[in-house]
Amino acid sequence: MASEPSALFRLVERKWLYFLLSGLFILPGAAFLLLGGLKPGIEFRGGTLLDARFEPVPEVADVREVLASLGHAEAVVQGAEGGRLLIRTTEMQPADIAAVERAFDERFPGALREAPSSSVVSPSFSAELVTNAVRSVVFASILIVLLIAFAFRTFGWAAFRYGLAAIVALLHDAFIVLGLFAILGYFFGVEVDSLFVTAVLTIIGFSVHDTIVVFDRIRENLRLNPGEALNPVINFSLTQTAARSVITSLTVLLTLLALYLFGGYSIRNFALALIVGIVAGTYSSIFNAAQVISLWQELEDRWRRRPRPQAAPA
Amino acid sequence: MSGLGPWLIALIAVVAVWVDIPKHQFDFPFGCPGICLRVGDRYYFQEIKTHLGLDLQGGTQLILRLKNESLPPGVDTPLPTLNDQARKVIDRRINALGVAEPVIQSLGDDKILLELPGVADIQQAQEIATRQAFLEFKVPDEANPGQFKSLDPPLTGANLKPTFVTFQGQAQSIPVVNFEFAPPDDQRWVDLSKQYVGKPTQILLDGKEISSPNIREVFSSGKGVIEGGFTTQSAKELSLLLNSGALPVPLEIVQSTRVEPTLGADSVQRSLVAGAVGLLLVALFMVVYYRLPGLLAVFALLYYTALAYAVFRLVPVTLTLAGIAGFILSIGMAVDANVLTFERLKEELRTGKSLRAAVDEGRRRAFPSIWYSNLATILTASILFYFGTGTVKGFALTLGLGVAVSFFTAAVVTQLFLHLAVDVPRLRRRWLYGVEERAEAMRPAAQPA
Repeated sequence: MASEPSALFRLVERKWLYFLLSGLFILPGAAFLLLGGLKPGIEFRGGTLLDARFEPVPEVADVREVLASLGHAEAVVQGAEGGRLLIRTTEMQPADIAAVERAFDERFPGALREAPSSSVVSPSFSAELVTNAVRSVVFASILIVLLIAFAFRTFGWAAFRYGLAAIVALLHDAFIVLGLFAILGYFFGVEVDSLFVTAVLTIIGFSVHDTIVVFDRIRENLRLNPGEALNPVINFSLTQTAARSVITSLTVLLTLLALYLFGGYSIRNFALALIVGIVAGTYSSIFNAAQVISLWQELEDRWRRRPRPQAAPA
Repeated sequence: MSGLGPWLIALIAVVAVWVDIPKHQFDFPFGCPGICLRVGDRYYFQEIKTHLGLDLQGGTQLILRLKNESLPPGVDTPLPTLNDQARKVIDRRINALGVAEPVIQSLGDDKILLELPGVADIQQAQEIATRQAFLEFKVPDEANPGQFKSLDPPLTGANLKPTFVTFQGQAQSIPVVNFEFAPPDDQRWVDLSKQYVGKPTQILLDGKEISSPNIREVFSSGKGVIEGGFTTQSAKELSLLLNSGALPVPLEIVQSTRVEPTLGADSVQRSLVAGAVGLLLVALFMVVYYRLPGLLAVFALLYYTALAYAVFRLVPVTLTLAGIAGFILSIGMAVDANVLTFERLKEELRTGKSLRAAVDEGRRRAFPSIWYSNLATILTASILFYFGTGTVKGFALTLGLGVAVSFFTAAVVTQLFLHLAVDVPRLRRRWLYGVEERAEAMRPAAQPA
């Protein structure tokens, strides 16, 4: 197997460096998660989102004033491309929306170019949507764990550690994305919606997919090289699969980049979540997942070789 | 991969392209916009077109909840039955309005999804969906002068023949709604007029008085008119509501979405650009990095795009913004299986195998990874589809179908292309596969026996 030793990276030996790097990315995000940085969108807390196109675009302060005069002082107004204003308020009835429309027409004559697009979710329904989201995440996780168990069934007992390592990797990826959006939410008021939940689940699926490819290769090389120590096999396997991991991620990233740049503001955050998650997923599949296996093996070896004083007298 | 395989794949391509071609412009080639089959006197017809979601074509979407807690005590019709009845009533009302392709679905037992493409007036949509149209006739209450009471059992609009609008007055300009009770309520109506002749009655719609006419004479039939100070418009609306029947239970709007058609068209435009740019970037990368196999993968990718789109049109999948995002994402993922195969192919070539042996070995050894990784994505997509609503469902459906189709193109179509390519002598140069040329002297030794 040592046909190209020059191409081998010392990926296993530097595992603590890679773990540290992951930690550095996860910790700030985790801190902001604890600070409540993840802001639920109107879908998850109920409320109204209006998307109105103006020309000329009025001052945000004036728009807020109009909304306040209609009893919506809590309104958050945000500019978007194409002369659009995104307005978030508490729940409105259709008649309230019509009233807002009339008030805009009065205050900014001729500026409102079309009836605002609107999305209203009642708080009672949003609670249900949150439950649904949580349920889908839980079920997805369970099924993915089952899939991992199935994929690694031929490893025998070792399947357990491979499965666990895959789960560590997917949690790593999920937390990096959650953390990023907690930070974005804390500083820029970026909100998460069901599309975000979808993105996180997609990332989890992608992460497992990447990790399975690496582990599959480790399994194959272990079979082809009986008696070889685990760490060199992992190094070799990672070297073999790194190109594939990077390239497949790259192709997905290319399409996501196109979505991010050209897909419009309504799916920009969705694309961003996927981009970050897939970069994290690629990193974890090369630098974390197999290293967890290696660490496990080293700890086990150390435990086996520990001095056994009580065994000597007997 | 011999015999029928290539022909089958070519046939699938032809069918996919035929499905993809817009039918309404061409009526091609059977003078029918879709699949029209006639076997004996049985017809099968499915129109083939791209179904755009509300967020892309504009319109109004409501999610309604059955307020079963506000039903009078004693009414214990099961929720699914109420849901069914409510949907039928809404369906009749919408049909009378002539909205094209409305969607009326139950979401669980206690909710109804209502989509009205092209309806911009959310207030009108609200009226249609939530006006209960519960008509009741009340009579004077002797115990409380000036008040009205319900009959026992209440006399309601549940048993009316179709109503219609006529005009009264000297100039025939006052619109009124004509109604007629069907038996047995027609007899009750006649009896009521006998008992209360010369006294006022009250007509209520959804608990609000719309008219309180005096009974001037004893009726001879179940007929009557409502003079509610209507405009022509409002009289017609009331007539329509009464004809569609009353909702069995009050409904409340828990989610409403209105999308302006221009915003939707904008989204379609953007998605097309994003999809095209994404496809182009991936294609460019594949050709530059993998050379000949990369080019073959690009053809397979075009095949994939045509086939997936055809599947979406046939199923049919309603494309939403999130759905298109899922499709674009699946383009990136569709290449994955090819990358796995090509990396293997390179490795096998480097170990000294012949091209053909390397192609077979590459496919064989890459297959488990491709299988499991696709399975992981399809699994995630199915969970999202099962538990998700609206946008999430759309995303999950296109992603899942996309990955399934991509599995087919990567495992079958790319392989076919590769096999066809290695059969062409001019294309058997190793550098075309991204591997350095072998020294000429080694060739005989490396050829399999």
